Amino acid sequence: MRPDFTATDPLAQLTEIRAIMERSSRFLSLSGLSGVGAGVVALAGAAVAHYYLQSHFADGYAYLLGGSRAERLAALPFLVLLAGTMAGAAVLVAWFFTRRRMQQQGSCQPLWNSLTRRLLVALALPLGAGGLFCLRLYLGDDAGLVVPGLLLFYGLALLNASKYTFTEIRWLGLTQMVLGLLATLQPAWGVLFFALGFGLGHIGYGLLMYARYERPGAAGATGQSQAAA
Amino acid sequence: MKHLIHTLNKAFDHRVRLGVMAVLMANDTVSFNDLKELLDLTDGNLASHVAALEKADYVLVSKQFIGKKPNTTYAATAAGKEAFRAHLAALEKLLSG
Repeated sequence: MRPDFTATDPLAQLTEIRAIMERSSRFLSLSGLSGVGAGVVALAGAAVAHYYLQSHFADGYAYLLGGSRAERLAALPFLVLLAGTMAGAAVLVAWFFTRRRMQQQGSCQPLWNSLTRRLLVALALPLGAGGLFCLRLYLGDDAGLVVPGLLLFYGLALLNASKYTFTEIRWLGLTQMVLGLLATLQPAWGVLFFALGFGLGHIGYGLLMYARYERPGAAGATGQSQAAA
Repeated sequence: MKHLIHTLNKAFDHRVRLGVMAVLMANDTVSFNDLKELLDLTDGNLASHVAALEKADYVLVSKQFIGKKPNTTYAATAAGKEAFRAHLAALEKLLSG
């Protein structure tokens, strides 16, 4: 509340009120570079999965989908380990760039505050349910729906989280949901859809947000309230 | 013009109180410490202004314990929200002249 205004200037009052409402309810320090980093992690993970499955199963991912339950079980530890590593690496990268951005903004708030907590819970609930649901699909006879399911639930999680951070993240969520639905049409291309959604989707969103708010000279780069239009 | 200024709520004539209400409009409940950090205030400053809002029945204070630490949270009452909205409307009216 440093900048002062005279009590009789209604425009200054309204502007400050809006800024306070915005920054008290949304986490606006999420760096676009976090998205780019997460996308790169996803692309690398998709490549690792592709080559691993190619070398262990005749036709890679497509074969696995039509394979026996025993074969899918054999690939499960690798896939779970890979997914866990990717999630961990993505969170680490996101944490790094976001913390750096908070320092650049001169924020004295700890990164783990009530806003980030709320944001992460909003993300984690749909994602956790979706993850378990996809595990169930994989163990049943619907492995082809795992990638569409992951994209759909992740899209819903982002849509849910858009209440607590930049509203633009809603577009990333909708993109993931559309890709998830499209992926049901070509289950064999699952790895490709995964790379498109989690990889290119994140990178595109991250670059866009970086250009919009963080690039030196960007409209929202220095503003206190980066009110998403 | 003079008449319009008198429609502004006296309880909101200080920017700290306006700030507190703005935060409570955007969030269901907010802890004392979060409020303090968001508005960049000292303990005493925040406490006195919140007390004024509480007295006007615009803010509901609840005191709980998390483990052994006291945790005070604030929420806007229905009357507080209504008064704040009326205040915003009055400000906008002032702007449009």
